[in-house]
Amino acid sequence: MTSLIVDRFNSIVFFLAEIYFLAFQVAKEFIVKKIEWKLIFEQIYFIGSKSLPLVLITALSTGMVMALQFGQGLEKFGGQLYVPKIVSLSIIREMGPVFTSLMLAARVGAGIASEIGSMVVTQQIDAIRALGTSPIRKIVIPRVIACLVCLPMLVAIADIVGVTGGLIVGVHELKLDAQFYYIKILSTIKLVDYFSGFGKTFFFSFFISITACYFGLNVKEGTKEVGIATTKSVVTASILILVGDYFLTKFFWIMEKWF
Amino acid sequence: MDLIQVKKFRKAFGKKVVHSDVNFSLHENECLGLIGGSGTGKSVLLRSLIGLEKPDSGQIIYGGNDITKFSEEELIDVRKNIAYAFQGGALFDSMTVFDNLAYPLREHTNLNYKEISEKIYFQLGQFGLADSELLFPGSLSGGMQKRVGLARAIILGPNIILYDEPTAGLDPYNTKKIEEMIIDLKSTGTSSILVTHDMPVAFSVCDRIAFLYEGTIKQILSKKDFNNKNIDNEILKFATGAYF
Repeated sequence: MTSLIVDRFNSIVFFLAEIYFLAFQVAKEFIVKKIEWKLIFEQIYFIGSKSLPLVLITALSTGMVMALQFGQGLEKFGGQLYVPKIVSLSIIREMGPVFTSLMLAARVGAGIASEIGSMVVTQQIDAIRALGTSPIRKIVIPRVIACLVCLPMLVAIADIVGVTGGLIVGVHELKLDAQFYYIKILSTIKLVDYFSGFGKTFFFSFFISITACYFGLNVKEGTKEVGIATTKSVVTASILILVGDYFLTKFFWIMEKWF
Repeated sequence: MDLIQVKKFRKAFGKKVVHSDVNFSLHENECLGLIGGSGTGKSVLLRSLIGLEKPDSGQIIYGGNDITKFSEEELIDVRKNIAYAFQGGALFDSMTVFDNLAYPLREHTNLNYKEISEKIYFQLGQFGLADSELLFPGSLSGGMQKRVGLARAIILGPNIILYDEPTAGLDPYNTKKIEEMIIDLKSTGTSSILVTHDMPVAFSVCDRIAFLYEGTIKQILSKKDFNNKNIDNEILKFATGAYF
């Protein structure tokens, strides 16, 4: 049992060291070498545009369900008037960034890990190296940058859609006045709330892209391992997002107090 | 003159020692065959020659330098001069044949689009691949993929070509085509190392043949050595098909 715990601990430390090394390589090659803008824009299209429908559905249903749940729950205490405040604040600060990131980890993280894993199995990554080029520059950097660009934008859209979803339910199901709902949102949400949620997305996008690239590049034993790498990528990124969210919330909370 | 020297090369995967002490050299203007049973580490050895694998110990001398000590950055120049033709072609499946061939040219030369196109169309013609420039690798046959892979590998005009089982899994017609291409490239003065199980191809193309057995090079023979009786018994069994 003790050896199992030690093994687990060692593998986590090894994983973190490898991720650090990969992130260092990405930063180094991004600064030193030619930036592949064409590949970055391609990835922005695949990661950003193609994820938009999923993000919109997730955000809309999250906002609607939250408004419904809070509306029903608070009705007993006559607190339905607080629904706009609670829903919009929850979405802007937490639900928007976290749910969008989890959706992106599932869709994009899985896609990146399986694509790179397949490239390893079919020796395409070896071919990139054999032709005197770097897989970090050609494969990893475009995906990391595209995630860094797309996730904040997707979260910004998800925030608006999520809050709108809450408004729709607030007006139609809870019979709240639309103008009242709108004014409550504006009076509740401060810029600092928005930045607290928005700031997390840069970390989350890094968690998603770097873990997906790492697990993809470390496929060794063939197609079966591509599936395993894909699962590991999604699970690891999700855990990093959820656990990281606590520490980032705390971090931004401290920052808010300072400023 | 030796272009590549491999000295005391050792490589293990976990507890399995694949190469214990490999020593050989590649001379100028020669084709060296590398034969041996499945799992003897021929491809691992070949990959190590351009730094795709790192040995546990030993040296690979190229251009007076031990490339086993080179970083990925330093290996770029080595890889521009030593081409590697992968067994399955290893084509980029998201790119057309044209873009696959253009890849090394765009990366390592300052040629403009017209010059790159001319070079690619010429190369495709040479390899019997005319009119396939817009196809994606997925729609090519195995033989065509290997030929495109070979065309891409040599498009920068390397000094040395490493072939990893270029005729494996091909029908006699495509085998013959690849064999002719290797002979043509050899006639231009390019040295090469050919990993193969195909003994007729090895005999037809190679100047010398090295037999990898139990982690070492058992014997290196020239073509005429095969005619006399001083051949190691294991090599004889392998070459005549009685090995397995």
